[in-house]
Amino acid sequence: MHCWQIIGAVTILALATSAAGQKPQTADASKSTSAEQVVRITLPNYAGEVPKGPNVEVYESHCLICHSVRYVTAQPDFSRSTWEKEVKKMVDAYGATISEGDQRKIVDYLVAVRGTPERK
Amino acid sequence: MMTAGGMLAARRAFGSTVEVNPGWGFDNVAAPTRTLARYPQKTDLILLTDRPPQLETPLRYFQTDLTPNDAFFVRWHLAGIPTSVDVQSFRLEVSGHVDKPLSLSLTDLRNKFEPASLVALCQCSGNSRSLFEPRVPGGQWGNGAMGNARWTGARLKDVLGSAGIKPGAVQVGLRGLDEPPQPQTPPFQKSLQIDHARDGEVMIAYEMNGQPLPMLNGFPIRLVVPGWFATYWVKALTKLTVLDQPLRSFWMDKAYRIPDNPQANEDPQHLAEKTVPISIMPVHSIFVKPEAGAQLRAGHASELAGVATDGGSGIRRVEVSMDSGKTWQDSDLGQDLGKYSWRLWRASWTPPTKGNYRLMVRATTNSGETQVTEQWNRSGYQRDVIEHLDVTAV
Repeated sequence: MHCWQIIGAVTILALATSAAGQKPQTADASKSTSAEQVVRITLPNYAGEVPKGPNVEVYESHCLICHSVRYVTAQPDFSRSTWEKEVKKMVDAYGATISEGDQRKIVDYLVAVRGTPERK
Repeated sequence: MMTAGGMLAARRAFGSTVEVNPGWGFDNVAAPTRTLARYPQKTDLILLTDRPPQLETPLRYFQTDLTPNDAFFVRWHLAGIPTSVDVQSFRLEVSGHVDKPLSLSLTDLRNKFEPASLVALCQCSGNSRSLFEPRVPGGQWGNGAMGNARWTGARLKDVLGSAGIKPGAVQVGLRGLDEPPQPQTPPFQKSLQIDHARDGEVMIAYEMNGQPLPMLNGFPIRLVVPGWFATYWVKALTKLTVLDQPLRSFWMDKAYRIPDNPQANEDPQHLAEKTVPISIMPVHSIFVKPEAGAQLRAGHASELAGVATDGGSGIRRVEVSMDSGKTWQDSDLGQDLGKYSWRLWRASWTPPTKGNYRLMVRATTNSGETQVTEQWNRSGYQRDVIEHLDVTAV
């Protein structure tokens, strides 16, 4: 069927591009096997570097469970009160389990790496 | 003043092949450096975040009416994003306040419902967030968290009609295949009012520009809500739940809300007390050419181009100013692809003398809606400010 052919081709494309320059391992789009009915991608690794800072290990152990470091490093500098609100949002809205002491340590880290100059 | 010859040249050039431009447009406003990333089924896009992925379209792709699928922006909320879909066993479940719950395969969606097709702008609520001053936390998008595509699929109205909506239904809940990283994290769920859901325009799309959707854009099906911000265009849609009570969801009740006034405006020192869920896209327009900081040649014609967007009236007029907004002139509009499509605009301009210029662009919709000169809100949503672009003529 026409649409399955298209989808099969997408599978091949996904395999080809996810291998980041390597040859696709499956390239026979003419075979209509059940494997080709599964469209699959492999996410590349674009993890950024974790900036050094006070309490970086507390930040890493709590924050990087749910999202990557780029959620912080892609931000401009913000005031301490803005970072406090962000950490509180992670706890209250997204369900992060972080003790109040660790929340304060994480805010210190965020202010150190992305704090507005006058508040650093 | 634009000469007649200049206008003609601009018209002739319109619709020619896309110029490959090595620059990144003026998205560099957001950050001094931006990394490009290549994800499966996608071309090189601007990397905002990697887990979950948020990828921005470089502005040079905004020179054609339809944005290529591989260049279309990507935005996921929760790290548990779908990376594989079995097209045979995939089902869209329709349940809740209905006569007959449905479990629809992709073949069912294609064969049991009359296909609908329309061109519609898909735009992130936080598109252009990095341009707000003071800056606000969130994805630091330039102007590239949007794209225009032809969507084909089954009308939500027909699918809901097939299940039979019971009297007393108020909303339809929407859920995709994406999963929260932790059990206590609220899953990404949105809702539409029942009358909106069965307006005959909201669509369950299985094709994007005539092709299956890329996985990162919601394969195998995503909701298309013409004129509304993309937060409602749930990707990898897998559950429709007809509700007799409004959905209680963090993503409706706490997130994606704007100050309750037409411009979604508030003062950083005095935040609005009342907020409402974001909905229809306001009118906005941007420059794609030239790029920020571009050097033009005095006495030589330069091409100005961009796109104008709105939420379902359609663009009637786009004006540009070369003198910081003192005087304005009409641009040439591109093809009209329907009221939910964006509209390309183009103009030719010859800087009379050497020096610095502030260019501006503003759009007007068919219903007369225009852009504002100032706007701010805490979340950086639904920007509709008249944008400027600083260039130098040498």
